[in-house]
Amino acid sequence: MYFPALLYPCILGMLGLVHAIPVHQDSLKNLVKPQAETIILRIKDHNKLKLSPKIFIDPELYPEVPADKPIQGLGSIVDTLTTFQKILQKLPNGNVSQISTDLFTLLGNLKDRMKSLRCTLKEPANDRSLDAFLENNATHPITLGFLALDRLKQFMQKLIINLDHLKSC
Amino acid sequence: MSSLSRRSLFIMLALLVNFITISQGLAALSPSDGRGGVYEDMKWKALLCCELPFAQTLDDGLSDHSPVGQCQLQNATKPEFSRNCLDILCWLEGERTNLICNAKSHRAAATASPLTVRPQLVVQMNVLSDEANHAAQCAGEDTAMCSISLHGNDATASLNISISSNGSTAVSPKMQVSTHLLRRPEPPVNLHYDVTTEGEVIFRWSDAQPNSDAINYEIRYTSNSSLQQWEVVKVKGRSWVSLNELSSGIRYMVQVRCQSHINYWSEWSQPFSLTLDVSYIPAEIFTTPGSKVTVYAVFHNRSWSASKAVWMLNGQVKIPESQYRVINDQVSAVTVTVDEPGFDTLMCCHQWGERFKCIIAYAKIYTEGMFNADLTCQSKNSEVDTMSCKWNKITWAQVRLLYRQYTSMCETIPEMEGSKEDEENMKCPSGAGDPRECTLRNLSLYSCYKIWLEVEGGHGKVRSFPVYVAPIDYVKPDPPSDLEATTLPNKTLSVSWRRPNLPVYDMQYEFRFVALRDMPNTQWKVIGPLLEPQAEVQLAESCVQFKVEVRCRRLNGSGYWSDWSMGYTSAVYNRKAPEMGPDFWRVIQEDPVRNVTNVTLIIKQPVLAGDPYSCVEGLVIEHQASGRAVWSNETTLAQFHSFQWRKEAHTVTIMSRNALGISTRNRNMTLLHQPKRRCIRSFSAVANSSCVYLSWSLLSDHPVPQSFVIEWLDLKKDPEQDVSLTERLQWVRVQSASRDLSLCRRFYGSEEFTLYPVFVDGEGESVRYTATRGDPAAYILLLIIAFLSVVLFVTLLMSQNQMRKLMWKDVPNPNKCSWAKGMDFRQIDTIENLFPHPEGLTACPLLLVSESICEVEIIEKTHPVTLEHEKDNEVPILKSGDKTATDSALLADSSEPLSLEASTAAATPDTSGQSSVTYSTILLTHQPSLLREQQESLSSSSDEGNFSANNSDISGSFPGGLWDLESHACSESTNPRHSSSYNSVEEFSETSDQDYEAPESTGVAKDLYYLEVNEEQEEEDEEEIAETQTEQENNEMKVDARPLLEGKKSTAIDSNASQSIPLYLPQFRTECINPP
Repeated sequence: MYFPALLYPCILGMLGLVHAIPVHQDSLKNLVKPQAETIILRIKDHNKLKLSPKIFIDPELYPEVPADKPIQGLGSIVDTLTTFQKILQKLPNGNVSQISTDLFTLLGNLKDRMKSLRCTLKEPANDRSLDAFLENNATHPITLGFLALDRLKQFMQKLIINLDHLKSC
Repeated sequence: MSSLSRRSLFIMLALLVNFITISQGLAALSPSDGRGGVYEDMKWKALLCCELPFAQTLDDGLSDHSPVGQCQLQNATKPEFSRNCLDILCWLEGERTNLICNAKSHRAAATASPLTVRPQLVVQMNVLSDEANHAAQCAGEDTAMCSISLHGNDATASLNISISSNGSTAVSPKMQVSTHLLRRPEPPVNLHYDVTTEGEVIFRWSDAQPNSDAINYEIRYTSNSSLQQWEVVKVKGRSWVSLNELSSGIRYMVQVRCQSHINYWSEWSQPFSLTLDVSYIPAEIFTTPGSKVTVYAVFHNRSWSASKAVWMLNGQVKIPESQYRVINDQVSAVTVTVDEPGFDTLMCCHQWGERFKCIIAYAKIYTEGMFNADLTCQSKNSEVDTMSCKWNKITWAQVRLLYRQYTSMCETIPEMEGSKEDEENMKCPSGAGDPRECTLRNLSLYSCYKIWLEVEGGHGKVRSFPVYVAPIDYVKPDPPSDLEATTLPNKTLSVSWRRPNLPVYDMQYEFRFVALRDMPNTQWKVIGPLLEPQAEVQLAESCVQFKVEVRCRRLNGSGYWSDWSMGYTSAVYNRKAPEMGPDFWRVIQEDPVRNVTNVTLIIKQPVLAGDPYSCVEGLVIEHQASGRAVWSNETTLAQFHSFQWRKEAHTVTIMSRNALGISTRNRNMTLLHQPKRRCIRSFSAVANSSCVYLSWSLLSDHPVPQSFVIEWLDLKKDPEQDVSLTERLQWVRVQSASRDLSLCRRFYGSEEFTLYPVFVDGEGESVRYTATRGDPAAYILLLIIAFLSVVLFVTLLMSQNQMRKLMWKDVPNPNKCSWAKGMDFRQIDTIENLFPHPEGLTACPLLLVSESICEVEIIEKTHPVTLEHEKDNEVPILKSGDKTATDSALLADSSEPLSLEASTAAATPDTSGQSSVTYSTILLTHQPSLLREQQESLSSSSDEGNFSANNSDISGSFPGGLWDLESHACSESTNPRHSSSYNSVEEFSETSDQDYEAPESTGVAKDLYYLEVNEEQEEEDEEEIAETQTEQENNEMKVDARPLLEGKKSTAIDSNASQSIPLYLPQFRTECINPP
């Protein structure tokens, strides 16, 4: 007699428990962190001895290349990485192509996660000015690559210590 | 009926429009110069009016026999209604793809009145294109529309129209339509800017069409942040403008449009992004090695000053400031010389503290010529032949690998290069960039390839030296396969493999092997080169499994070694199963946490059990618990095996195994928890430095064990470094008949040995004994103490001598004594002269009360004089005196050149002891060289003119010490005794007139020598200086020496010498006899 009455709350409770289980957040962290570390190491190797440590390229002159962008969730991460990917694709072949491939894979993982979380994919805001910037500096791929990779490295380092933001859009 | 009425009623108007497109020769037409038409609103318009002759019949189409009328193009906007007029309109459709012309009759247009009877018109248009040589023809009533494709090109179309009506025809004059006037001009392209060395920004563009008739331009620009606020600049007749009002650091969007002569404005050009920061003039420069190049940098940022410019070469090297030049406040220039062909960059930065603030842009220097890129290639011959080429990275340059294939041999390529320049070069498929490697696929292995690098942007003028490569010579083959290896009983390792099929040339091989058990720690042993795909190697021992790898390369000619093949573990050949199992012992450890007892078996490795045909490949460990449960484990040749013991009777048997079976003679061990029986009476150990001798005895009334096991801990292994107890435990099994054992290994002072009697049914009670050995540290301590004692003793001796020296240095110069004032010691020959008191010595007031007379006798052996002295005529003639020791034995003993005999004479018993003087007698064996040295020493020391403390520092404890003789001063003396001023034991020496009897016949007063005896060290130091003066000084001494204590008749006193040898008074004072 009382059996069905007890059964329903139990089933509902179980469903609620299942819903509360986080969706593989740690697995994404475990996936993103080594990729970011790989990219950092590749950038260090690529930029090694490229420019004298005394040389300092003013980041304020090039706002098109993301520098010190805040990490506020998956959306901001994907936005920034998309910009970097666009820059890297404009650079000549070489070691950068491998970094570009790594970045493409990382972006794919993050976008998949955004889809699973039903986040809205935004279009990059500064496309027009970025295109103009890349066009203007296409003849200086070495310094352009150095600058972009240096900032990508900084962003990857920031990403590693902000992996918790992968949980939100 | 109907056809007749049509013939009669219809005015047939046939329009024949021919468009002849001419793709060349665009005429510059004015808007009204359309051969009657006008260009307006991107359309060509014309009014064509024709006079048609009257004809009753008109055939369809054009007829050669039809009457022909005249047509005229008119400018009147109102056509004459009496005539047949057509409105002609042409325009372009799409992206210049089609030209469309429409002819429309005015009669058709004037259909407004329904009462007007309108004749039917037929319009026919023909369009002819010369490109495809086809005409487009179209016809219609009242109107006709024709279209012809222009294929995207501008052209001039020819248009002919024919009108037919009632059998009569009128033909229009030839009309031409320029299609490019039917559209807007193309917006300017190639927007860019230049900067002059004065810092002026010149913005430039180009017309899209080479023969553009654009005459006016408009330039608009805006900053990125204000896209809606455009600044517009108008330009007429030129395609550049100066934009000096732009600010630095701001990204501007610039667009240009042009206006054609028919006032059509083009669309705005593609936006050009412009940011002014640092501009290089020129941005690219081509030069040759050794030439000087000058590059200017313009700082658009007014806060950057050219005086603070820093030029960097290739982003790494700061160019010396001596090569800079400040053109003005915003422009800096640098002059560099590049010696080698290649690519370099220049960056002009601004000093920013310790660092240099730079921008992305840099100037590029292409130095024409060929550079060395160290291109090396390696090919791979497999299903798809490939070749990978690597090169040294060229700083900052973007390079591309190019290659060209030849079918001839590489050696002949350079000669035939000239004839094949026109052949197309092939490019690396991975494209240009900054890679260091390119892989070429689908190569012909037997072709020759010329490979080189080109710097992108260098127009082929900057390239590497080419390499000519035949891929067959650079093949890295696949490693051999099907490797097999067997360890044979005759201590041989037999290895065979299969070579790769490709390349087909002969190959050589190398194989390497390492014992499986030594894998992590042992180096591979390499055998080769081998010509056959098999080999045998003699081994030190059989039954050992090895890991084997093999590789190959070309036998004759160049090529690379393949990679090592996959490792293969050799099989061990066996003819039968092992005969016996291994010996083993156990370690029992309690685990208090888990409350279990762990037993670890320590197994001696039974690689060769029995004979070489029965190797052991593994072990079988069989357990039998008390409940008759039996189980077994198969392991490899492990050294340890652990299991949990429930402290019940447990028997373990370890058997050896190989592929043919297991051993039959095996050792087993029974673990018992019950009290163990006691059978050992005594157990002792004695240790020395390298061995421990163990001995034991058994109780008489107990059974004899099956064997004994002695275990101890290896102290070499540090337990703190995670070395487990099982690895530290050492053990040895001893036969049951033995009662002692000698273990000669390294031991560490104190170690505990445990003796276990092992019976068939378990172990007996063990006995422990701690062997101690004398601590080597104690010996070391003793040695240290002994050494320190010696050091202390020597130090004391040295300090004593030093004290003596210090004390005697304080002895005053007698010349400065008050009692000696006015006294000329040089004139004093006797003691009486020195002390002229009438009471004689007893009344000597100068003598100290407690002093006693000291007497020294130097007795020199009568020995033949040395040749050296003979030469010098200074040989003293020595005679044996009463006290002269002429002991033949002593003389014969040449090993003791100088002997000293000390005695005390005339010492009064009541001497107070202030000074104790000892007389010494020196016995000299004749040693010319020593004598010579002594003389040298004397002469060197006599320079001081004072009898320093050093002089008196001779004691009997130094028999070979620095003694001097005065005998050489008495060259003509016959007195065999040579009394000198030697100090023997005490601190000074003297010569007694009582003991010294100078012969009267000599006529030479006996001198008293001042003897300075230095420390040996000092003597050595002064030896060199002294040697240079030896001869002269010796002579001086010999001549100048004057007796002080006797020799009234002494003559020939050299005043100079006497000055140089002042007297030392205390020596005489000690000779004073105490008054009674």
